[in-house]
Amino acid sequence: MSGSQYQRHQIEIDEVFHTFQLDGQPLPILKGVSLQIERGESCAILGSSGSGKSTLLNIIGLLDQAVSGSYWLNGHDVGKLTNSMRADLRNRLIGFVFQNFNLLPRLNALDNVALPLQYRGLSLQKSRLRAQHTMESVGLGDRLHHRPADLSGGQRQRVAIARALVGEPELILADEPTGNLDSESAQDIMSLLLGLNDLRAVTLVMVTHDLTIAKQLKRCLYVRDGHVTESRNLVGDI
Amino acid sequence: MGDLRRGSGREIVIQIFLDSLTNLRLQGRRTVLALFGVCIGCAAVVALLNIGSNAADESMRAFKDLGSNSVVASFFLREGSRKPGPANLDSRALKKAVPAIEYVSPLTLHSTRISYQGRTVEASVVGTNSEISSILSLRIPKGRFLSSIDGSSTYVVVGASLAEDLGRPGRPLRVGDRLPIEGYLFEVIGIVEAIAQNPVIPVAADQSLFIPIHGMRRIKSLPEINSAVALVSDVSMLEGAATDFKSYLSEAAPGHEVEVQIPKHLLDGLSRQAKMFSRLLAGLGGIALLMGGAGIMNVMLMSVAERRREIGVRMAIGARSQDIRNMFLVEVVALTSIGAMAGVVIGVLVSYVFVLHSGWDFSLSPASLPLGVGSALIVGVISGLYPAFVAAQLEPVQALRDE
Repeated sequence: MSGSQYQRHQIEIDEVFHTFQLDGQPLPILKGVSLQIERGESCAILGSSGSGKSTLLNIIGLLDQAVSGSYWLNGHDVGKLTNSMRADLRNRLIGFVFQNFNLLPRLNALDNVALPLQYRGLSLQKSRLRAQHTMESVGLGDRLHHRPADLSGGQRQRVAIARALVGEPELILADEPTGNLDSESAQDIMSLLLGLNDLRAVTLVMVTHDLTIAKQLKRCLYVRDGHVTESRNLVGDI
Repeated sequence: MGDLRRGSGREIVIQIFLDSLTNLRLQGRRTVLALFGVCIGCAAVVALLNIGSNAADESMRAFKDLGSNSVVASFFLREGSRKPGPANLDSRALKKAVPAIEYVSPLTLHSTRISYQGRTVEASVVGTNSEISSILSLRIPKGRFLSSIDGSSTYVVVGASLAEDLGRPGRPLRVGDRLPIEGYLFEVIGIVEAIAQNPVIPVAADQSLFIPIHGMRRIKSLPEINSAVALVSDVSMLEGAATDFKSYLSEAAPGHEVEVQIPKHLLDGLSRQAKMFSRLLAGLGGIALLMGGAGIMNVMLMSVAERRREIGVRMAIGARSQDIRNMFLVEVVALTSIGAMAGVVIGVLVSYVFVLHSGWDFSLSPASLPLGVGSALIVGVISGLYPAFVAAQLEPVQALRDE
């Protein structure tokens, strides 16, 4: 990996464009987005529905590729990586937390959490052992063998967070992690994520609609008309 | 990217295998459906191969006793000719003329009715010499067969089922009994052990009365040889011996056409037919297997479609395209292997029951098991390749978006 000025930031996005195909016509979503996020930062991405905030998160998380522009993650020029390398980076550096949890319904909580480690090449036994510790660290030590369907929404999201954390990632990407939870569970999950950010210096990037949640993060980025702006006055900007 | 490479390849392989088995177990009904398709296809291949092989064996068995080195000659009156056929053959002269011939027997046939101990049965009288015993591999548990010194004596050797028909409960036909044949009393000097009829030789040994060929004059006023059977000492000399045998007989039977049949040709033809029959049945089994393969492809494609989100999640947490592809491939291989094993057991059982029900002797066709399992695995893997590649080519973001 060639060294460069981009290595100063954990995430460095420069002039990224992205389009969707709608009825055969290109629909621009991101129009020259540039941003930098430092290691250990917490950052909310806000914006109206369809503004492109989830697309931006998917690009940051290597789930999607920009049509043009450059993106550097932890010193890696993402545009030059093969699919396999991108998968490895997702496995090693990134933990995802989704709004609808995205747990595999046929596996129990422990095996769901152990899965990323198995893709890293750890044995089932070691993966389960580490998964168990992580489950205990998020307060679900007594729910190891429950299937997702047998858990509450808050517990499912904790399992999802445990799955994101088990590989000790440097970056957690959360897409509306509290969107499907009641306010009590939502605050609970937020405390957990912010605690990780504070205590383990894990970078936290979160897409949300909720201003009260966004205010708890150090930075807020607002996506509008395909552009990203840093938002200082949330209420006024939105 | 060196720091990003994964740990042990062996661990990943084991993980994919365990993961696939878990997926199969958790998919329940769909797994059973796919298994059923492979199992039936493989069972069809194994069963049809075994049934074909056993049917071929059975049809060949009837001809096997004939031996592969015999020659059968038949005499036909030439059109316009009125010359009687020969009444006998000088077997010594014939063997001198055709040294490759080890045994030769003329056959003069006559159908008659025998009444004995109040019973009347149809019988075929065969006028021949002692060498027919070696040619037909006759066994004489009671008494003896005709010998070269019996000449025109009134001796008879009785076939097994005819002896049974002529006996009574408590009074079976015995050596030394005298049978009335066309007004003459013939002394029973031997009873032949039961033997399957040889379809090439016009003699049903079990229903025949063997008498010295010279004695045929007592039964028919003008006995003529209908056919002659010879055994060649070396199968490599069969063709030449058959030609010489025909020439010799043509000279010995003026006014008659001589047709020579080599049963080996018939056996070879039968063997070819049996192989073709087996191939045909294997082809039918293969079609059943292809249907099973189509079933697997359907089930796997459905599985991929239903598990798009799962594929997306797995990719999001670090699964590479090849991990996803391998997961589906291992699933299909595991499915096919289990289905093939079950199919082999079912196929063998079905063929065993069928063969026993048909009254044949069962023998396991050695090729059926590797062919059945091998073809099931090949069809399964080929059927699973497309769904596996479809799954592997999904983009994580597309798969995750799927509801």
